[in-house]
Amino acid sequence: MDSSLSSYQPLLDFLLRSLSTLETTFFKIPGSAVVARYVKSSHQNDPGRTLLELILLIFAIGTLLQSRTRADRDGKHFIKFSEKEIDELVDEWIPEPLAETLDAKEQADLAAVPVIAGPQGPRPKLLNGKTVLNFASYNFTGLAGNEDIKTRAIETLRKYGLGSCGPPGFYGTVDVHMDLERDLADFLGTEAAILYAQGFSTISSVIPAFSKRGDIIVADRGINFAIQKGIQISRSTVRWFDHNDLKSLEDVLEGLEKERKKRKLPLTRRFIITEGIFEKDGAMVDLPKLIELKYKFKYRLILDESISFGTVGRTGRGLTELYNVPASQIDMLVGSISNGLASCGGFCAGTTVVVNHQRINGTSFVFSASMPALLSVSASEGINILRNAPSILTTLQDNIRTFRSILEKLDCISIPSHPASPIIHICVRPSSLQVPQLSITSSGSGKPSNPASVQPRDPPQFDIDGEERLLQEVVDEVLAQGVLVTRAKSLRGQEMIEARPSIRLAISSAFTKKECEKSGNVIKVALVKVLGKRR
Amino acid sequence: MALNPPSPTPSMFKKKSSSNLSTAASYLSAVRAADARARAHGGTPTATPALSLSSSVTTSSEDTVLAEESDHEDNILYYPPIPPTSEQVFTTVHSEFGHCANSDYRYTSQHPQGVPVTPWLEQDPPYYILFTTYVSYIILICIGHIRDFFHKHFKPSTFQHLIPLQGYAPLNSDFDSFYTRRLKTRLDDCFSYPVTGVAGRTIVLLDRISHDFNVTFEPTGKRVRALNISSYNYLGFAQARGGCADAVEEGIKRYGVSACGTRLEGGSLDLHATAEGLVAKFVGMEDSLISSMGFATNSTIIPALVGKGCLVISDELNHASIRFGVRLSGANVRMFKHNDMADLESLLREVISQGQPKTHRPWKKILIIVEGLYSMEGTLVNLPRIMELKKKYKFYLFIDEAHSIGALGPHGRGVTDYFNIPPRSVDILMGTFTKSFGAAGGYIAGSKTLVDRLRLRGHTGAYAEAMTPPVLVQVIASMASIMGVSPSLPASFSPSSSSSSASTLRLTDSDGYEHPGPAPASSLPAWLDLPPALRDGSEGHDRLRRLAFNSRYLSRGLEKLGFITYGHVDSPIVPLLLFNPGKMPLFSRMMRSMETPIVVVVVAYPATPLVTSRVRFCVSAAHTKADIDLVLKACDEIGDVLDLKHRPGDRWPLEKIMANAIELVRMNE
Ligand SMILES: Cc1ncc(COP(=O)(O)O)c(C=O)c1O
Repeated sequence: MDSSLSSYQPLLDFLLRSLSTLETTFFKIPGSAVVARYVKSSHQNDPGRTLLELILLIFAIGTLLQSRTRADRDGKHFIKFSEKEIDELVDEWIPEPLAETLDAKEQADLAAVPVIAGPQGPRPKLLNGKTVLNFASYNFTGLAGNEDIKTRAIETLRKYGLGSCGPPGFYGTVDVHMDLERDLADFLGTEAAILYAQGFSTISSVIPAFSKRGDIIVADRGINFAIQKGIQISRSTVRWFDHNDLKSLEDVLEGLEKERKKRKLPLTRRFIITEGIFEKDGAMVDLPKLIELKYKFKYRLILDESISFGTVGRTGRGLTELYNVPASQIDMLVGSISNGLASCGGFCAGTTVVVNHQRINGTSFVFSASMPALLSVSASEGINILRNAPSILTTLQDNIRTFRSILEKLDCISIPSHPASPIIHICVRPSSLQVPQLSITSSGSGKPSNPASVQPRDPPQFDIDGEERLLQEVVDEVLAQGVLVTRAKSLRGQEMIEARPSIRLAISSAFTKKECEKSGNVIKVALVKVLGKRR
Repeated sequence: MALNPPSPTPSMFKKKSSSNLSTAASYLSAVRAADARARAHGGTPTATPALSLSSSVTTSSEDTVLAEESDHEDNILYYPPIPPTSEQVFTTVHSEFGHCANSDYRYTSQHPQGVPVTPWLEQDPPYYILFTTYVSYIILICIGHIRDFFHKHFKPSTFQHLIPLQGYAPLNSDFDSFYTRRLKTRLDDCFSYPVTGVAGRTIVLLDRISHDFNVTFEPTGKRVRALNISSYNYLGFAQARGGCADAVEEGIKRYGVSACGTRLEGGSLDLHATAEGLVAKFVGMEDSLISSMGFATNSTIIPALVGKGCLVISDELNHASIRFGVRLSGANVRMFKHNDMADLESLLREVISQGQPKTHRPWKKILIIVEGLYSMEGTLVNLPRIMELKKKYKFYLFIDEAHSIGALGPHGRGVTDYFNIPPRSVDILMGTFTKSFGAAGGYIAGSKTLVDRLRLRGHTGAYAEAMTPPVLVQVIASMASIMGVSPSLPASFSPSSSSSSASTLRLTDSDGYEHPGPAPASSLPAWLDLPPALRDGSEGHDRLRRLAFNSRYLSRGLEKLGFITYGHVDSPIVPLLLFNPGKMPLFSRMMRSMETPIVVVVVAYPATPLVTSRVRFCVSAAHTKADIDLVLKACDEIGDVLDLKHRPGDRWPLEKIMANAIELVRMNE
């Protein structure tokens, strides 16, 4: 959609320039105020649309549309070259290679990626034939390999085939998608929900569907990569608050409100964006407090529950169930059906207005084929199972507790994750520091960080390479004992804030207490062995 | 589907057919008998590739589908108009994948060697059409504003979500949403039509009705089966029956439904490696990387390829996912006019000589991103010319083959195959599985170095859920059946021997794979048991040739009827220009209410330029010639009513087109 808009951009620029001269005469024409308003609001939002209208009014300009992309030619930085000179420059130019070859560490990283041979589950076989206890893969509710889900999936396959072969707008809206959307909305207690074909791509589309240039986003410094990308695409004004620190959030909101009053800024859309359980460290947000702030300052809340949906609360409804907050108070509740429901895809739940808006403006919803019918049915079946077997969530919490009780006693590590979080991040506790570093971005001194910068005032210092090496050693050591865990993989150099290296355990309800104890101890021994050596 | 020689294991259908099958009635009863038996035995169709019109899995809602189906005995959507002879055995369900035995209705999708690529000329409609189109938009906009005015002042309740309310700015201002509310809503009954069942040759619409002018819809409970010329089902692999579906079922039994996590953190299965190896072979690259969503393949991999100091040169009509990825990458972007190689070259000369803006430092890299086949235009990239430019200007080339992979080329390997250009002379080949393969997700293929880099640097590896096993199996099975599997490949059916033996792009892998040849059996999962017609590649080959025939037949046919169409004659995407906005919903509704309903896709601004509203047909190998006839006939009727035939030049009456289809298809440009 954007191309037709942005290709009109040069023309718009031209029009805007001529506008100032036309303006005086223009305002004498009756109805001119309406047009003026278009130009103004389009300048803020979406240049192409005003343009379209102008074209219609100034019909003749339509034919001028042919010349585009020459915008730079008359810029002041343009240097004029002869054809011969250009040929020489072309010959001289040597591009960098498209991709550098991997260095030894990267090669080792890639080689160390576990590959499972055969079905995924709590006790899978690895490529080398060894059976391991799997605390790396996301199978929180133990639905991987569930026979009921398999049966339903096969039934669906036999009725719907596999692929949907079309985006939702063009005959890709299958009844099972609508069923799952209804099931999700029902399960959470919102008016409606919308499905995306991939969990990761969901929030990157949800954010820019609502938040545009000039709108305000207040976001946590510890948000995951998908949210960062969504914010980047939206081009909105961003303010940051300290990771999982709602006092800091309140300060930022207050500051913004003061600024708005002082400078008499117009009312724009304002959003708070954070995660339920943070993917990067497993911390959990204080939802009731968050809701209170959102109402107090009149912000909308976009909450990413990718990890928490399907893993916390009595039946896995997520944070809203855990804190007993109606899900309807969260404006855009984004979640994943690939983690808690062991399928593949994501969703955004909210009011009908919020959901329908995305059906036209959610980029990866509109421009991507809808998910395979059988994945949708599997997720519906997953919800059904969670609803009817609260014991799954109790077992999951028991298993988490078992693990933590073993690991928490260790003083060579720190665990930033919330006690109820199904992902447990294990960080190396820096030997020099006495104070436990419980947060990936917590600021040490009392002074507040600058909200306009994503960097906190006193970013914690850590040696990424060194810690990663140690942790990988632990991972290898643990694997030798038949337990599969993984380091939390992070795109170094691409994240806004580097996360502290960690081992990320994904606990599942599919394990027995014995298995958890055994694995916990294996991990403990390895940690002590590897980290103890260090001093 | 394929025209099999009488198989050594006689199918049920064949047994029946040996008596007398010359009439439609006996054909039907044979079908019923086969069905009944399949259900009674509960056997899977793996063993019995019989003509089964329904499923052997019996569930309650399945029965409702059955009931609906048995109502229409003479409906050509269920039963072919000419029953097959006793020699013919079809292994597909006709409503999913049409039975077409006439081997003349086949063609090879290939660029004629030595012929330069002619730039395609846009055809202009008569002046009055353009004029009325603009006037229509002006009227629509005026009416919209008048309605807005009255609603705002006399029915404020309908406007509440568009104005600031209790201290909240509206999520969507009345200005921003004007087009959606006042123009798009008028034709909303043509979009997001709910469907059920397989998106194959036919599709079942869940009938709906709106009592408030398309603001909300209510299902009426009725189901309507329609001919589907809208889904991206180019090779017809959207099937609930047949070898691929059987493989997927086996895959689900073995692997379950989920991969549980990201590729780098415990979500990698052996199936991923298998599929990636096969994709690399299929497209002719060293290695490939798979991600679970086609859109995300672009939006998360492009940022790993280019960044600050790099330049992306992008065709102005590139897909939203490409633009998304480019925007995330932070690289500079320039656009060139759609498929205009002269514009591209002058742009290249400018950007290389000028260097980076302001500093004039040379660019680190220049990446040109084009699509193989453009989904709204049906145009093919002028790859031979781009390859020439690439030699001279040293840019990297990224081709998004979302629509062209599987759909073009004598071996279905996409635009490189079509133009007979060695795939490895292109740097990055990207494609999706949602289209030709009837699966989901996408891939990136390139050199081993590049792909390994992307595994680590691309966003999907560390953060996005991996592709699920059922989808992987569908990818493997459909791809293998297009390629054929090598040890079991009888010479007579070798796709590479029967077409384009002049191919110059031979290259051989260490495991004996020769591009573009059959897949070595060792590169497939050991448990994968494809039926013989899939295994020897004959069915895949047939699908490719049926698609090529159907594509050419439809676009040539529409041309001869006098419609203005866009795109390349070999493109399975055939846009037919409507221009006036008011004709879009009319066209769509008229097609849907034909005696044999046909579903079509209409697209308008902002997906297309303002004046060129269009209807877009997506041809499939699953269609039969009779289906294309049906579409032509419907278009012919509607075209007269809506005044759509504006193409200057030679016109043929419908009967002549239908009678001379083969000649029409084989005609040179
Ligand atoms: C050119 C192009 N690239 C990428 C995509 C996205 O693919 P998917 O639908 O598999 O997400 C599409 C789909 O419409 C496309 O047309």
